[in-house]
Amino acid sequence: RGGRLQEIVFRNFYTAFVSVRVQRARGPRRWLTCVRRRRLMASPHAEQGAQDYFSLPRHQMLCDVDQVTAVRFILRQPSPVWLHFTIEELQIFPPSQKSPPKDFPSWLSALTPLPLPASRQELPDPEKVSAEAQQMWVLTEVIRARQAAARIGRFDVDGCYDVNLLSYT
Amino acid sequence: AAAVQDGARLSAPVAALPDSGLRRAAAPPVAAAARELDSEAEFLLQAGVSAMVREALLKVLEARPEEPVAFLADYFEKLELSGAGGEAGAEPPGLPQRLARALWYVRLAHHSHRPAFSSNVALAYECLSGGGRRRRAGLDGRLFSELLRRVCRPGPAPAEAVSALLRKVQCREHEAVPLDVFRYGVLSCAVLREFAAKAGALYDALGGGGPADKRLCQAVLRALEEALADGDLPPPARYLAAGAKLGPDGLALAMERALRERKLSAAMSREEFLRKAAALFVAKVKAVE
Repeated sequence: RGGRLQEIVFRNFYTAFVSVRVQRARGPRRWLTCVRRRRLMASPHAEQGAQDYFSLPRHQMLCDVDQVTAVRFILRQPSPVWLHFTIEELQIFPPSQKSPPKDFPSWLSALTPLPLPASRQELPDPEKVSAEAQQMWVLTEVIRARQAAARIGRFDVDGCYDVNLLSYT
Repeated sequence: AAAVQDGARLSAPVAALPDSGLRRAAAPPVAAAARELDSEAEFLLQAGVSAMVREALLKVLEARPEEPVAFLADYFEKLELSGAGGEAGAEPPGLPQRLARALWYVRLAHHSHRPAFSSNVALAYECLSGGGRRRRAGLDGRLFSELLRRVCRPGPAPAEAVSALLRKVQCREHEAVPLDVFRYGVLSCAVLREFAAKAGALYDALGGGGPADKRLCQAVLRALEEALADGDLPPPARYLAAGAKLGPDGLALAMERALRERKLSAAMSREEFLRKAAALFVAKVKAVE
């Protein structure tokens, strides 16, 4: 019963402070504060932050936001400069089905030179070995990139000619 | 300049280069000398000598041979064989000579000098495709395969790899080979040759001159195979991934780990290493369709 909140995203329109309260499916029927007086505009009289996008992730919320049945937004704007204030494009995201960590490319971990463990055996010179191996890789890439553009124009199917494709001259 | 002078000494008809002729004639400003200058330049132009010498110079620059004199001698001899000196009607040389000359053309420039290599390959194709009294014009698959075989062997590439590569790039014996297919086949063979040479050098680096440890060989081959397997990544990521796997640090780690994991050490023979490495290469060659 109730939904789970992962993140709340909205676009501000001249709101200085926002508070969010939630009501849960179980427990007492009172409103729990999950975001208390979050400042959206640096100065309520000024423009900064007045039309920005904001995100309230789960880990910044004060209470547990599972089994939520209702959400209440309280907007405050103490400045008399702005006659109308609100929040727009409100989106509430539940936790996604699977959030796999993005595939970490292997080469990213090789950016800093790894400390070589004290080798007990004699290793062949890595510079020389690497130079030859890299050149071999380049040669293979060269040939992999090429392909004969022209086709021979074979008419045979599985090694035998298809009679219909041969022309009678 | 030295090569040019040698070439001038070799072929008798080339009396002097137009440049030196001009310089000689300019010193005494006499009407007779001016007339001589005209006739000299004319003579050279008429005999097509200036064009021929220019061609020879270009070929020397492309090929950068270690023996320029021998190279130029070879070049002019082949030129005479083909009757390019201006005399038409000579019987075109037989197949073995054509094959030798095509092979010579193909070996002139390194495959990485793409424009020079392409033009030489085109010359070789023309040479092999020429018609004669007894044969039709065009290059058939059999001659093509023979040329490819000679490009690869004798050479560092192992025989199985050469056969596997030929299976991919050659044509059926009776088929007519278009220039593009010809160029592709010749390029693959030239690159395989260089690849095998590098694999040999790699084996020497691993073994320090003697037989190389099997664990090291396998570790390095595996790293190469993994680096090649990233072929689907877009170019920047592909180079970064390959650089990480095949860089000195990555390889040193791989080798060190291989030595640590398996205690028993055996040697891998050079032939086996070349075979395995060449197999990696041939696997990436696209077959001709």
